[in-house]
Amino acid sequence: MPLSLYYYLSITAVNILMSWALYVPYRMTQLHFITIANMMISGYLAGYLVLHVHVPFVCALLIGFVVGGIIGYVVSLFIGDAPTFAVVIVGFTFIYITRTIVENLSIVGGTMGMFGLPNIGGNPVAHRWIILGILYGLVVLCGFLIYRFDHSSIGRAASAIFVDKELASSLGIDIKKLGMLVQTFSCTLAGGVGVLYGFIYKSFHLDFFGFALIGVYMTVLFVGGYSTQWGPLIAAPILYGVPLFFPPAVQSWRIVIYGVMLILVLVLKPEGFITRKSVYSIGLALSRKREKVIRS
Amino acid sequence: MQVFIAQILNGLSIGSVYVLLVTGFNLLLLVAMIIHFSYPQVVVFSMYIIWLVLKMTNNNLLLGILAGVSSAVLFNFISAPLFQKIMKNREEVDINATMVLSMAIGWIITDVLSHAFNNGLPIQFPEEITGSRPLFRIGLISILPGQVWALSIGIIVVSGFFILLYKTKAGRAFRAIAEDPAGARLVGIPLVKTGFQSYALSGVLGGLTAVLLAMLFHSASPGLGEQVSHKVLAVSIVAGLGNLTGGLVVGLALGILEALVQGYISGNWSNAIAFVVMLIVIMVKPKGLFGMKV
Repeated sequence: MPLSLYYYLSITAVNILMSWALYVPYRMTQLHFITIANMMISGYLAGYLVLHVHVPFVCALLIGFVVGGIIGYVVSLFIGDAPTFAVVIVGFTFIYITRTIVENLSIVGGTMGMFGLPNIGGNPVAHRWIILGILYGLVVLCGFLIYRFDHSSIGRAASAIFVDKELASSLGIDIKKLGMLVQTFSCTLAGGVGVLYGFIYKSFHLDFFGFALIGVYMTVLFVGGYSTQWGPLIAAPILYGVPLFFPPAVQSWRIVIYGVMLILVLVLKPEGFITRKSVYSIGLALSRKREKVIRS
Repeated sequence: MQVFIAQILNGLSIGSVYVLLVTGFNLLLLVAMIIHFSYPQVVVFSMYIIWLVLKMTNNNLLLGILAGVSSAVLFNFISAPLFQKIMKNREEVDINATMVLSMAIGWIITDVLSHAFNNGLPIQFPEEITGSRPLFRIGLISILPGQVWALSIGIIVVSGFFILLYKTKAGRAFRAIAEDPAGARLVGIPLVKTGFQSYALSGVLGGLTAVLLAMLFHSASPGLGEQVSHKVLAVSIVAGLGNLTGGLVVGLALGILEALVQGYISGNWSNAIAFVVMLIVIMVKPKGLFGMKV
Protein backbone atom coordinates (compact mmCIF):
# COMPACT_ATOMS: atom_id res chain seq x y z
CA MET A 1 0.00 0.00 0.00
CA PRO A 2 1.42 3.44 -0.89
CA LEU A 3 2.43 5.50 2.13
CA SER A 4 0.22 8.42 1.05
CA LEU A 5 -2.87 6.17 0.90
CA TYR A 6 -2.00 4.70 4.31
CA TYR A 7 -1.77 8.18 5.83
CA TYR A 8 -5.00 9.27 4.15
CA LEU A 9 -6.94 6.24 5.36
CA SER A 10 -5.53 6.26 8.88
CA ILE A 11 -5.92 10.03 9.48
CA THR A 12 -9.44 9.88 8.04
CA ALA A 13 -10.31 7.14 10.56
CA VAL A 14 -8.78 9.20 13.38
CA ASN A 15 -10.80 12.24 12.25
CA ILE A 16 -14.03 10.20 12.18
CA LEU A 17 -13.41 8.76 15.64
CA MET A 18 -12.38 12.06 17.20
CA SER A 19 -15.31 13.91 15.61
CA TRP A 20 -17.57 11.24 17.13
CA ALA A 21 -15.81 11.83 20.45
CA LEU A 22 -17.00 15.45 20.12
CA TYR A 23 -20.37 14.47 18.64
CA VAL A 24 -21.55 12.30 21.56
CA PRO A 25 -21.23 14.97 24.31
CA TYR A 26 -22.50 17.62 21.87
CA ARG A 27 -25.75 15.65 21.72
CA MET A 28 -26.39 17.41 25.04
CA THR A 29 -24.65 20.69 23.98
CA GLN A 30 -21.28 19.97 25.60
CA LEU A 31 -18.16 20.74 23.55
CA HIS A 32 -15.76 18.39 25.27
CA PHE A 33 -12.27 19.47 24.15
CA ILE A 34 -10.63 17.58 27.00
CA THR A 35 -10.56 14.73 24.46
CA ILE A 36 -7.52 16.38 22.81
CA ALA A 37 -5.68 16.41 26.16
CA ASN A 38 -6.68 12.77 26.65
CA MET A 39 -5.23 11.84 23.27
CA MET A 40 -1.98 13.45 24.40
CA ILE A 41 -1.89 11.86 27.86
CA SER A 42 -2.75 8.33 26.73
CA GLY A 43 -0.59 8.60 23.62
CA TYR A 44 2.55 9.71 25.45
CA LEU A 45 1.94 7.20 28.25
CA ALA A 46 1.56 4.32 25.81
CA GLY A 47 4.59 5.49 23.83
CA TYR A 48 6.66 5.56 27.00
CA LEU A 49 5.45 2.12 28.09
CA VAL A 50 6.22 0.54 24.71
CA LEU A 51 9.55 2.28 24.21
CA HIS A 52 11.07 2.17 27.70
CA VAL A 53 9.17 -0.48 29.69
CA HIS A 54 8.77 -2.81 26.65
CA VAL A 55 5.06 -3.32 27.30
CA PRO A 56 3.35 -5.02 24.32
CA PHE A 57 1.48 -2.60 22.06
CA VAL A 58 -1.93 -4.17 22.72
CA CYS A 59 -1.53 -3.74 26.49
CA ALA A 60 -0.37 -0.14 26.00
CA LEU A 61 -3.39 0.52 23.80
CA LEU A 62 -5.74 -0.91 26.43
CA ILE A 63 -4.02 1.18 29.11
CA GLY A 64 -4.55 4.22 26.85
CA PHE A 65 -8.30 3.53 26.69
CA VAL A 66 -8.52 2.95 30.45
CA VAL A 67 -6.52 6.07 31.38
CA GLY A 68 -8.65 8.16 29.03
CA GLY A 69 -11.80 6.73 30.61
CA ILE A 70 -10.60 7.34 34.17
CA ILE A 71 -9.70 10.97 33.44
CA GLY A 72 -13.01 11.48 31.67
CA TYR A 73 -14.95 9.95 34.56
CA VAL A 74 -13.15 11.93 37.28
CA VAL A 75 -13.58 15.23 35.41
CA SER A 76 -17.21 14.43 34.63
CA LEU A 77 -17.91 14.17 38.37
CA PHE A 78 -17.39 17.95 38.41
CA ILE A 79 -18.61 19.08 35.00
CA GLY A 80 -21.13 16.41 34.05
CA ASP A 81 -23.92 18.97 33.99
CA ALA A 82 -21.84 22.16 33.56
CA PRO A 83 -22.82 24.74 30.93
CA THR A 84 -21.16 24.54 27.50
CA PHE A 85 -18.67 27.38 28.01
CA ALA A 86 -17.46 25.88 31.32
CA VAL A 87 -16.90 22.50 29.61
CA VAL A 88 -15.07 24.27 26.78
CA ILE A 89 -12.69 26.10 29.07
CA VAL A 90 -12.03 23.00 31.18
CA GLY A 91 -10.96 21.32 27.93
CA PHE A 92 -8.65 24.18 26.97
CA THR A 93 -7.08 24.35 30.43
CA PHE A 94 -6.44 20.60 30.36
CA ILE A 95 -4.72 20.95 26.98
CA TYR A 96 -2.51 23.77 28.30
CA ILE A 97 -1.63 21.95 31.48
CA THR A 98 -0.85 18.70 29.66
CA ARG A 99 1.26 20.51 27.06
CA THR A 100 3.26 22.31 29.75
CA ILE A 101 3.88 19.08 31.65
CA VAL A 102 4.98 17.25 28.49
CA GLU A 103 7.23 20.20 27.52
CA ASN A 104 9.00 19.97 30.86
CA LEU A 105 9.23 16.15 31.07
CA SER A 106 12.46 14.88 29.61
CA ILE A 107 11.44 11.21 29.94
CA VAL A 108 8.88 11.69 27.16
CA GLY A 109 11.21 13.81 25.06
CA GLY A 110 10.06 17.28 26.17
CA THR A 111 9.81 19.75 23.30
CA MET A 112 11.87 17.44 21.07
CA GLY A 113 9.22 14.71 21.06
CA MET A 114 9.33 10.93 21.34
CA PHE A 115 10.73 9.06 18.35
CA GLY A 116 11.63 5.54 17.33
CA LEU A 117 8.45 3.71 18.31
CA PRO A 118 8.68 0.12 17.08
CA ASN A 119 6.75 -1.40 14.16
CA ILE A 120 3.81 -3.42 15.36
CA GLY A 121 4.01 -6.82 13.68
CA GLY A 122 7.74 -6.55 13.09
CA ASN A 123 7.88 -4.77 9.72
CA PRO A 124 6.47 -1.52 8.25
CA VAL A 125 3.94 -3.25 5.96
CA ALA A 126 2.44 -5.33 8.77
CA HIS A 127 2.49 -2.23 10.99
CA ARG A 128 0.35 -0.29 8.50
CA TRP A 129 -2.19 -3.08 8.06
CA ILE A 130 -2.49 -3.65 11.81
CA ILE A 131 -2.98 0.07 12.53
CA LEU A 132 -5.58 0.36 9.75
CA GLY A 133 -7.33 -2.80 10.94
CA ILE A 134 -7.58 -1.54 14.51
CA LEU A 135 -8.67 1.95 13.43
CA TYR A 136 -11.43 0.77 11.08
CA GLY A 137 -12.46 -1.92 13.55
CA LEU A 138 -12.92 0.89 16.06
CA VAL A 139 -14.88 2.94 13.50
CA VAL A 140 -17.29 0.03 13.01
CA LEU A 141 -17.57 -0.72 16.74
CA CYS A 142 -18.04 2.94 17.77
CA GLY A 143 -20.39 3.53 14.85
CA PHE A 144 -22.55 0.66 16.08
CA LEU A 145 -22.44 1.84 19.72
CA ILE A 146 -23.30 5.42 18.78
CA TYR A 147 -26.11 4.20 16.51
CA ARG A 148 -27.56 2.19 19.41
CA PHE A 149 -27.13 5.22 21.70
CA ASP A 150 -28.87 7.55 19.24
CA HIS A 151 -31.81 5.17 18.91
CA SER A 152 -32.18 4.43 22.62
CA SER A 153 -34.06 6.22 25.37
CA ILE A 154 -30.73 7.70 26.56
CA GLY A 155 -30.19 9.19 23.10
CA ARG A 156 -33.67 10.68 23.16
CA ALA A 157 -32.95 12.07 26.63
CA ALA A 158 -29.78 13.71 25.24
CA SER A 159 -31.87 15.22 22.42
CA ALA A 160 -34.31 16.59 24.99
CA ILE A 161 -31.42 18.21 26.88
CA PHE A 162 -30.14 19.70 23.61
CA VAL A 163 -33.52 21.33 22.94
CA ASP A 164 -34.31 22.52 26.46
CA LYS A 165 -32.27 21.67 29.53
CA GLU A 166 -34.87 22.94 32.00
CA LEU A 167 -37.66 20.99 30.34
CA ALA A 168 -35.53 17.83 30.21
CA SER A 169 -34.79 18.19 33.89
CA SER A 170 -38.48 18.64 34.71
CA LEU A 171 -39.22 15.46 32.71
CA GLY A 172 -37.03 13.59 35.19
CA ILE A 173 -33.89 13.24 33.06
CA ASP A 174 -30.78 13.06 35.21
CA ILE A 175 -28.60 15.55 33.30
CA LYS A 176 -25.49 14.98 35.39
CA LYS A 177 -25.61 11.19 35.08
CA LEU A 178 -26.09 11.39 31.32
CA GLY A 179 -23.34 14.01 31.06
CA MET A 180 -20.99 11.72 32.97
CA LEU A 181 -21.82 8.82 30.66
CA VAL A 182 -21.20 10.70 27.41
CA GLN A 183 -18.08 12.46 28.71
CA THR A 184 -16.56 9.20 29.95
CA PHE A 185 -17.32 7.51 26.63
CA SER A 186 -15.75 10.30 24.58
CA CYS A 187 -12.64 10.44 26.80
CA THR A 188 -12.18 6.65 26.66
CA LEU A 189 -12.41 6.75 22.88
CA ALA A 190 -10.01 9.70 22.69
CA GLY A 191 -7.48 7.94 24.92
CA GLY A 192 -7.29 4.92 22.61
CA VAL A 193 -7.28 7.03 19.45
CA GLY A 194 -4.42 9.11 20.90
CA VAL A 195 -2.27 5.96 21.19
CA LEU A 196 -3.06 4.93 17.61
CA TYR A 197 -2.50 8.48 16.34
CA GLY A 198 1.09 8.45 17.57
CA PHE A 199 1.72 4.93 16.27
CA ILE A 200 0.58 5.96 12.79
CA TYR A 201 3.70 8.15 12.62
CA LYS A 202 5.70 5.97 15.05
CA SER A 203 6.43 9.12 17.07
CA PHE A 204 4.83 11.63 19.40
CA HIS A 205 5.35 15.38 19.24
CA LEU A 206 3.54 18.26 20.91
CA ASP A 207 2.71 19.72 17.50
CA PHE A 208 0.53 16.66 16.81
CA PHE A 209 -1.83 17.82 19.55
CA GLY A 210 -2.11 21.55 18.84
CA PHE A 211 -5.23 23.66 18.94
CA ALA A 212 -5.51 23.24 15.16
CA LEU A 213 -6.76 19.70 15.86
CA ILE A 214 -9.82 21.16 17.57
CA GLY A 215 -10.41 23.22 14.42
CA VAL A 216 -10.27 20.13 12.22
CA TYR A 217 -12.62 18.03 14.37
CA MET A 218 -15.06 20.90 14.89
CA THR A 219 -15.19 21.55 11.15
CA VAL A 220 -15.84 17.86 10.46
CA LEU A 221 -18.59 17.82 13.08
CA PHE A 222 -20.35 21.06 12.17
CA VAL A 223 -19.93 20.93 8.39
CA GLY A 224 -20.95 17.26 8.25
CA GLY A 225 -23.82 17.83 10.66
CA TYR A 226 -23.89 17.63 14.42
CA SER A 227 -27.37 16.14 14.71
CA THR A 228 -26.52 12.67 13.36
CA GLN A 229 -23.51 10.37 13.48
CA TRP A 230 -23.49 10.12 9.68
CA GLY A 231 -22.38 13.76 9.33
CA PRO A 232 -18.83 13.27 10.64
CA LEU A 233 -18.57 9.86 8.91
CA ILE A 234 -19.21 11.41 5.50
CA ALA A 235 -17.50 14.76 6.08
CA ALA A 236 -14.19 13.42 7.46
CA PRO A 237 -12.90 11.68 4.28
CA ILE A 238 -14.03 14.59 2.08
CA LEU A 239 -12.68 17.41 4.26
CA TYR A 240 -9.34 15.69 4.75
CA GLY A 241 -9.09 14.41 1.19
CA VAL A 242 -10.11 17.38 -0.93
CA PRO A 243 -7.36 19.78 0.30
CA LEU A 244 -4.76 17.12 -0.65
CA PHE A 245 -5.55 17.81 -4.31
CA PHE A 246 -4.85 21.53 -3.89
CA PRO A 247 -1.44 22.96 -4.83
CA PRO A 248 1.01 22.99 -1.86
CA ALA A 249 0.75 26.80 -1.56
CA VAL A 250 -3.01 26.52 -1.03
CA GLN A 251 -2.73 23.43 1.20
CA SER A 252 -0.80 25.42 3.79
CA TRP A 253 -3.92 27.59 4.23
CA ARG A 254 -5.96 24.51 5.21
CA ILE A 255 -7.02 25.91 8.59
CA VAL A 256 -8.21 29.16 6.97
CA ILE A 257 -10.21 27.11 4.45
CA TYR A 258 -11.73 25.04 7.28
CA GLY A 259 -12.50 28.20 9.27
CA VAL A 260 -14.24 29.86 6.31
CA MET A 261 -16.21 26.66 5.62
CA LEU A 262 -17.28 26.44 9.24
CA ILE A 263 -18.44 30.08 9.26
CA LEU A 264 -20.36 29.63 6.00
CA VAL A 265 -22.05 26.47 7.25
CA LEU A 266 -22.96 28.05 10.60
CA VAL A 267 -24.49 31.03 8.83
CA LEU A 268 -26.10 29.34 5.82
CA LYS A 269 -26.77 25.77 6.94
CA PRO A 270 -26.71 25.78 10.74
CA GLU A 271 -27.32 22.04 11.18
CA GLY A 272 -24.64 21.05 8.65
CA PHE A 273 -25.04 19.10 5.43
CA ILE A 274 -26.32 15.82 6.85
CA THR A 275 -29.29 16.55 9.06
CA ARG A 276 -31.61 14.24 10.94
CA LYS A 277 -34.33 15.12 8.46
CA SER A 278 -32.19 14.14 5.48
CA VAL A 279 -31.20 10.83 7.12
CA TYR A 280 -34.88 10.14 7.85
CA SER A 281 -35.86 10.95 4.23
CA ILE A 282 -33.15 8.68 2.85
CA GLY A 283 -34.18 5.90 5.25
CA LEU A 284 -37.80 6.30 4.22
CA ALA A 285 -36.96 6.25 0.51
CA LEU A 286 -34.82 3.13 0.96
CA SER A 287 -37.52 1.28 2.91
CA ARG A 288 -40.14 2.15 0.25
CA LYS A 289 -37.83 0.84 -2.44
CA ARG A 290 -37.29 -2.34 -0.43
CA GLU A 291 -41.05 -2.80 -0.01
CA LYS A 292 -41.50 -2.33 -3.74
CA VAL A 293 -38.86 -4.96 -4.48
CA ILE A 294 -40.43 -7.42 -2.00
CA ARG A 295 -43.91 -6.89 -3.48
CA SER A 296 -42.73 -7.32 -7.05
CA MET B 1 10.92 41.29 49.41
CA GLN B 2 12.21 43.24 46.41
CA VAL B 3 11.31 40.34 44.11
CA PHE B 4 7.85 40.24 45.63
CA ILE B 5 7.23 44.00 45.10
CA ALA B 6 8.65 43.88 41.57
CA GLN B 7 6.41 40.94 40.67
CA ILE B 8 3.33 42.57 42.21
CA LEU B 9 3.95 45.63 40.03
CA ASN B 10 4.40 43.40 36.99
CA GLY B 11 1.26 41.50 37.93
CA LEU B 12 -0.82 44.65 38.32
CA SER B 13 0.17 45.95 34.89
CA ILE B 14 -0.53 42.68 33.08
CA GLY B 15 -3.63 42.19 35.23
CA SER B 16 -4.99 45.57 34.12
CA VAL B 17 -4.68 44.40 30.50
CA TYR B 18 -6.63 41.24 31.37
CA VAL B 19 -9.26 43.46 33.00
CA LEU B 20 -9.61 45.50 29.79
CA LEU B 21 -9.94 42.33 27.73
CA VAL B 22 -12.48 40.77 30.08
CA THR B 23 -14.47 44.03 30.15
CA GLY B 24 -14.68 44.14 26.35
CA PHE B 25 -15.56 40.44 26.26
CA ASN B 26 -18.29 40.86 28.91
CA LEU B 27 -19.71 43.93 27.19
CA LEU B 28 -20.27 41.91 24.02
CA LEU B 29 -21.72 39.08 26.06
CA LEU B 30 -24.15 41.26 27.99
CA VAL B 31 -25.33 43.59 25.24
CA ALA B 32 -24.75 41.78 21.93
CA MET B 33 -25.37 38.41 23.64
CA ILE B 34 -22.42 36.65 22.03
CA ILE B 35 -19.47 34.75 23.49
CA HIS B 36 -16.77 36.43 21.42
CA PHE B 37 -14.17 33.81 22.22
CA SER B 38 -11.74 35.20 19.65
CA TYR B 39 -11.96 38.79 20.92
CA PRO B 40 -8.34 38.62 22.21
CA GLN B 41 -7.30 37.28 18.80
CA VAL B 42 -8.80 40.41 17.26
CA VAL B 43 -6.66 42.36 19.74
CA VAL B 44 -3.52 40.50 18.64
CA PHE B 45 -4.50 41.18 15.01
CA SER B 46 -4.59 44.89 15.93
CA MET B 47 -1.11 44.54 17.45
CA TYR B 48 0.10 43.27 14.07
CA ILE B 49 -1.61 46.22 12.32
CA ILE B 50 0.14 48.63 14.72
CA TRP B 51 3.47 46.93 13.95
CA LEU B 52 2.81 47.14 10.22
CA VAL B 53 1.82 50.82 10.30
CA LEU B 54 4.80 51.72 12.50
CA LYS B 55 7.06 49.95 10.01
CA MET B 56 5.49 51.70 7.02
CA THR B 57 5.42 55.19 8.56
CA ASN B 58 8.88 55.16 10.06
CA ASN B 59 7.53 54.65 13.59
CA ASN B 60 4.80 57.30 13.60
CA LEU B 61 3.26 56.48 16.99
CA LEU B 62 0.01 58.39 16.52
CA LEU B 63 -0.76 56.71 13.21
CA GLY B 64 0.15 53.33 14.67
CA ILE B 65 -2.23 53.73 17.62
CA LEU B 66 -5.02 55.07 15.39
CA ALA B 67 -4.58 52.14 13.02
CA GLY B 68 -4.65 49.67 15.92
CA VAL B 69 -7.86 51.07 17.40
CA SER B 70 -9.64 51.50 14.07
CA SER B 71 -8.68 47.99 12.90
CA ALA B 72 -10.22 46.45 16.04
CA VAL B 73 -13.42 48.50 15.60
CA LEU B 74 -13.57 47.64 11.89
CA PHE B 75 -13.02 43.94 12.57
CA ASN B 76 -15.82 43.93 15.13
CA PHE B 77 -18.16 45.66 12.69
CA ILE B 78 -17.32 43.22 9.89
CA SER B 79 -18.00 40.20 12.11
CA ALA B 80 -21.17 41.67 13.70
CA PRO B 81 -23.56 40.73 10.84
CA LEU B 82 -22.37 37.11 11.02
CA PHE B 83 -23.30 36.90 14.68
CA GLN B 84 -26.61 38.65 14.01
CA LYS B 85 -27.39 36.19 11.19
CA ILE B 86 -26.78 33.23 13.50
CA MET B 87 -29.14 34.69 16.09
CA LYS B 88 -31.75 35.28 13.37
CA ASN B 89 -31.34 31.73 12.00
CA ARG B 90 -32.08 30.21 15.36
CA GLU B 91 -34.75 32.77 16.27
CA GLU B 92 -33.32 32.95 19.77
CA VAL B 93 -30.20 33.90 21.67
CA ASP B 94 -27.79 31.01 21.24
CA ILE B 95 -24.50 31.94 22.84
CA ASN B 96 -23.03 28.49 22.17
CA ALA B 97 -23.41 28.89 18.40
CA THR B 98 -21.82 32.35 18.61
CA MET B 99 -18.90 30.82 20.51
CA VAL B 100 -18.29 28.26 17.75
CA LEU B 101 -18.49 31.00 15.11
CA SER B 102 -16.06 33.11 17.10
CA MET B 103 -13.65 30.17 17.43
CA ALA B 104 -13.65 29.82 13.64
CA ILE B 105 -12.88 33.54 13.29
CA GLY B 106 -10.03 33.05 15.76
CA TRP B 107 -8.47 30.17 13.78
CA ILE B 108 -8.60 32.28 10.63
CA ILE B 109 -6.91 35.22 12.37
CA THR B 110 -4.17 33.03 13.88
CA ASP B 111 -3.49 31.26 10.60
CA VAL B 112 -3.47 34.50 8.59
CA LEU B 113 -1.02 36.05 11.07
CA SER B 114 1.26 33.03 10.86
CA HIS B 115 1.25 33.06 7.05
CA ALA B 116 0.98 36.68 5.97
CA PHE B 117 2.99 38.69 8.52
CA ASN B 118 6.75 38.53 9.01
CA ASN B 119 6.88 34.95 7.62
CA GLY B 120 5.12 33.70 10.73
CA LEU B 121 7.99 34.82 12.96
CA PRO B 122 7.29 36.83 16.13
CA ILE B 123 7.23 40.59 15.60
CA GLN B 124 9.24 43.07 17.67
CA PHE B 125 7.89 46.53 18.47
CA PRO B 126 10.22 49.53 18.16
CA GLU B 127 11.47 51.55 21.12
CA GLU B 128 9.13 54.40 20.19
CA ILE B 129 6.22 52.38 21.57
CA THR B 130 7.89 50.21 24.22
CA GLY B 131 10.17 52.84 25.79
CA SER B 132 13.92 52.38 25.89
CA ARG B 133 14.75 52.39 29.61
CA PRO B 134 13.04 52.00 32.98
CA LEU B 135 11.43 55.10 34.45
CA PHE B 136 12.98 54.24 37.78
CA ARG B 137 14.95 51.46 39.40
CA ILE B 138 15.69 50.54 43.04
CA GLY B 139 17.53 47.26 43.36
CA LEU B 140 15.43 44.62 41.62
CA ILE B 141 12.41 46.91 41.38
CA SER B 142 12.24 48.71 38.07
CA ILE B 143 9.26 50.42 36.56
CA LEU B 144 9.00 50.38 32.79
CA PRO B 145 7.00 52.94 30.78
CA GLY B 146 4.75 50.17 29.44
CA GLN B 147 3.79 49.14 32.98
CA VAL B 148 2.87 52.72 33.95
CA TRP B 149 0.86 53.19 30.77
CA ALA B 150 -0.91 49.85 31.14
CA LEU B 151 -1.86 50.49 34.73
CA SER B 152 -2.94 54.12 34.28
CA ILE B 153 -4.81 53.58 31.00
CA GLY B 154 -6.37 50.46 32.47
CA ILE B 155 -7.67 52.40 35.50
CA ILE B 156 -8.88 55.35 33.37
CA VAL B 157 -10.60 53.21 30.76
CA VAL B 158 -12.29 50.85 33.21
CA SER B 159 -13.43 53.81 35.41
CA GLY B 160 -14.72 55.58 32.28
CA PHE B 161 -16.50 52.43 31.23
CA PHE B 162 -18.21 52.04 34.60
CA ILE B 163 -19.24 55.75 34.52
CA LEU B 164 -20.65 55.22 31.03
CA LEU B 165 -22.48 52.13 32.18
CA TYR B 166 -24.01 53.53 35.36
CA LYS B 167 -24.27 57.31 34.75
CA THR B 168 -25.33 57.74 31.13
CA LYS B 169 -28.42 57.02 29.04
CA ALA B 170 -26.44 54.73 26.70
CA GLY B 171 -25.17 52.80 29.73
CA ARG B 172 -28.72 52.36 31.01
CA ALA B 173 -29.66 50.94 27.61
CA PHE B 174 -26.73 48.52 27.80
CA ARG B 175 -27.76 47.40 31.28
CA ALA B 176 -31.40 47.11 30.35
CA ILE B 177 -30.57 44.76 27.48
CA ALA B 178 -28.27 42.76 29.73
CA GLU B 179 -31.03 42.37 32.33
CA ASP B 180 -33.97 41.67 30.05
CA PRO B 181 -33.69 41.96 26.24
CA ALA B 182 -37.44 41.52 25.66
CA GLY B 183 -38.31 44.13 28.29
CA ALA B 184 -35.72 46.53 26.87
CA ARG B 185 -37.30 46.18 23.42
CA LEU B 186 -40.75 46.85 24.92
CA VAL B 187 -39.63 50.15 26.43
CA GLY B 188 -38.25 51.28 23.07
CA ILE B 189 -34.53 50.53 23.33
CA PRO B 190 -33.25 49.66 19.85
CA LEU B 191 -31.59 46.27 20.35
CA VAL B 192 -29.68 46.09 17.07
CA LYS B 193 -28.38 49.68 17.28
CA THR B 194 -27.32 49.26 20.92
CA GLY B 195 -25.76 45.92 20.02
CA PHE B 196 -23.69 47.62 17.30
CA GLN B 197 -22.67 50.32 19.78
CA SER B 198 -21.34 47.58 22.03
CA TYR B 199 -19.32 46.18 19.08
CA ALA B 200 -17.85 49.66 18.51
CA LEU B 201 -17.07 50.21 22.18
CA SER B 202 -15.49 46.80 22.61
CA GLY B 203 -13.50 47.50 19.43
CA VAL B 204 -12.12 50.70 20.98
CA LEU B 205 -11.28 48.81 24.17
CA GLY B 206 -9.62 46.10 22.10
CA GLY B 207 -7.56 48.59 20.10
CA LEU B 208 -6.32 50.30 23.27
CA THR B 209 -5.51 46.91 24.78
CA ALA B 210 -3.47 46.08 21.67
CA VAL B 211 -1.39 49.24 22.21
CA LEU B 212 -0.87 48.37 25.88
CA LEU B 213 0.09 44.77 25.08
CA ALA B 214 2.65 46.06 22.56
CA MET B 215 4.09 48.34 25.26
CA LEU B 216 4.19 45.57 27.86
CA PHE B 217 5.28 42.53 25.86
CA HIS B 218 7.50 44.35 23.30
CA SER B 219 6.69 41.53 20.88
CA ALA B 220 3.82 39.38 19.61
CA SER B 221 3.41 36.05 17.89
CA PRO B 222 0.46 34.45 16.05
CA GLY B 223 -0.18 32.04 18.95
CA LEU B 224 -0.47 34.86 21.50
CA GLY B 225 -4.15 35.44 20.69
CA GLU B 226 -5.12 31.83 21.35
CA GLN B 227 -3.37 31.78 24.69
CA VAL B 228 -4.88 35.09 25.81
CA SER B 229 -8.35 34.14 24.56
CA HIS B 230 -8.33 31.00 26.69
CA LYS B 231 -7.27 33.05 29.71
CA VAL B 232 -9.93 35.68 29.09
CA LEU B 233 -12.68 33.08 28.82
CA ALA B 234 -11.32 31.35 31.94
CA VAL B 235 -11.19 34.65 33.88
CA SER B 236 -14.69 35.47 32.74
CA ILE B 237 -16.03 32.07 33.88
CA VAL B 238 -14.11 32.12 37.17
CA ALA B 239 -15.48 35.60 37.87
CA GLY B 240 -18.98 34.65 36.70
CA LEU B 241 -19.89 35.07 33.05
CA GLY B 242 -20.90 38.68 32.38
CA ASN B 243 -19.96 39.89 35.87
CA LEU B 244 -17.99 43.11 35.30
CA THR B 245 -16.89 43.62 38.92
CA GLY B 246 -15.88 39.98 39.18
CA GLY B 247 -13.87 40.32 35.95
CA LEU B 248 -12.02 43.27 37.45
CA VAL B 249 -11.02 41.38 40.58
CA VAL B 250 -10.18 38.04 38.91
CA GLY B 251 -8.31 39.73 36.00
CA LEU B 252 -6.00 41.55 38.42
CA ALA B 253 -5.63 38.42 40.58
CA LEU B 254 -4.62 36.35 37.54
CA GLY B 255 -1.98 38.93 36.54
CA ILE B 256 -0.50 38.92 40.04
CA LEU B 257 -0.59 35.11 40.29
CA GLU B 258 1.22 34.71 36.98
CA ALA B 259 3.85 37.29 37.90
CA LEU B 260 4.50 35.67 41.29
CA VAL B 261 4.87 32.22 39.71
CA GLN B 262 7.31 33.68 37.16
CA GLY B 263 9.26 35.33 39.97
CA TYR B 264 9.54 32.35 42.28
CA ILE B 265 9.33 29.17 40.17
CA SER B 266 11.87 28.41 37.48
CA GLY B 267 10.81 26.97 34.11
CA ASN B 268 7.85 27.74 31.93
CA TRP B 269 5.18 26.93 34.50
CA SER B 270 3.37 30.26 34.98
CA ASN B 271 0.62 29.58 32.42
CA ALA B 272 0.09 26.02 33.61
CA ILE B 273 -0.18 27.01 37.28
CA ALA B 274 -2.58 29.85 36.44
CA PHE B 275 -4.68 27.40 34.45
CA VAL B 276 -4.60 24.79 37.25
CA VAL B 277 -5.93 27.37 39.72
CA MET B 278 -8.64 28.46 37.29
CA LEU B 279 -9.47 24.85 36.46
CA ILE B 280 -10.02 24.00 40.13
CA VAL B 281 -12.30 27.02 40.58
CA ILE B 282 -14.28 26.22 37.43
CA MET B 283 -14.69 22.57 38.40
CA VAL B 284 -15.79 23.40 41.93
CA LYS B 285 -17.88 26.46 41.02
CA PRO B 286 -18.84 26.29 37.32
CA LYS B 287 -21.04 29.38 37.68
CA GLY B 288 -18.16 31.53 38.93
CA LEU B 289 -17.06 33.14 42.18
CA PHE B 290 -19.16 36.28 41.79
CA GLY B 291 -22.21 34.78 40.06
CA MET B 292 -23.26 34.77 36.42
CA LYS B 293 -25.10 37.74 34.92
CA VAL B 294 -26.38 36.00 31.79
